[in-house]
Amino acid sequence: MGVQAQPTKEGLMTKDQLIAFEEEIAAQFNAGKIRAPVHLYSGNEEQIIAVFKQIRPQDWVFCSWRSHYQCLLKGVPKEHVREEIMAGRSISLCFPEHRIYSSAIVGGVLPIAVGVAMSIARRGEDAKAYCFLGDMTSETGIAHEAIKYSRNHRLPIHFVVEDNEKSVCTDTREVWNQPRLSLEGFGDEYVSYYHYKTKYPHAGAGVRVQF
Amino acid sequence: MNFLAQDPRTVFLGQAVTVAGTAMSTTLKDVPPERRIELPVAEEMQMGMTTGMALTGLIPVSIYPRWDFVLLAINQLVNHLDKVPMMSNGGYKAKAIIRTGIGSQRPLHPQSQHTGDYTEAIRAMCATIEVIRLEDPADIFPAYEKALMREDGRSTILVEYGDYYGEK
Repeated sequence: MGVQAQPTKEGLMTKDQLIAFEEEIAAQFNAGKIRAPVHLYSGNEEQIIAVFKQIRPQDWVFCSWRSHYQCLLKGVPKEHVREEIMAGRSISLCFPEHRIYSSAIVGGVLPIAVGVAMSIARRGEDAKAYCFLGDMTSETGIAHEAIKYSRNHRLPIHFVVEDNEKSVCTDTREVWNQPRLSLEGFGDEYVSYYHYKTKYPHAGAGVRVQF
Repeated sequence: MNFLAQDPRTVFLGQAVTVAGTAMSTTLKDVPPERRIELPVAEEMQMGMTTGMALTGLIPVSIYPRWDFVLLAINQLVNHLDKVPMMSNGGYKAKAIIRTGIGSQRPLHPQSQHTGDYTEAIRAMCATIEVIRLEDPADIFPAYEKALMREDGRSTILVEYGDYYGEK
């Protein structure tokens, strides 16, 4: 498939633009205009923009159910992202022409990203897979398998752990009885890790919407 | 498998694909070694890798010697490989071939955890993947040919009978 052009690094959406996009989606959701779940980002704009300064058009990006920022920063026109969200597909946004794949299943994208990275390596392609995951996902068995395999086989892949301290409403550290998570503090060729605090709930935008 | 290997897009992955170990291993011995990827025992990761490789245009032939082992990969099979076309509005194609079997019962019976036949259950769980049970040796080549050549982007599960290796 063809890969569409991405804005220059100078053309990446700014922190304020990202925040404004999510706020607009929040307003649409709270007004009952989106008849499907949305999972909004906030508070991680500077960290995720820094990650995307390394990501090129030919690279793949794998996300969870929370992926609006990745889609925008990978270069999908915001009108197109908004259109998909309004159509109810926020939970698994996929844009093949931009090499973005998102999944609503915990840990779902991790081994898929490994397979893409293996394919890139076997074909000698100049590309890399970037895989975003949350703190609870980072403690799953599939995360340990995928990261261990990728690291040991030196695959062209990078995992970005985004730690907001919880999964839905469950405190990751409390339920694992582990004050310091397994990948916390990592920052190497294969794994990077950042903390953030969000103003939004796990799903929705704070208003219970009745249809 | 030699027919499949003639297509440069195919790659064979799983356990006992570069070493001996199962009845399926012997059917791969003439496939070039560089087209075979020996994996750790990590069934769900294997199925996810299968989907990932297929997303890039390869046609992975992902080998699970028994249905019982596929059960460990159901999340990736049902939630991902099967759902890729729906999740992406038909944008992504992920055509893979999953090769599995119903464990042989003769001359040794490996009991209930190695002889399951989940063909109908998996068929009922999948919306896009076609599940073909190979009832007769004459079914094998046409089924693999269909799985390889199909242009609808769908994946195919091919189910063998372990007992047929020695009996048919």
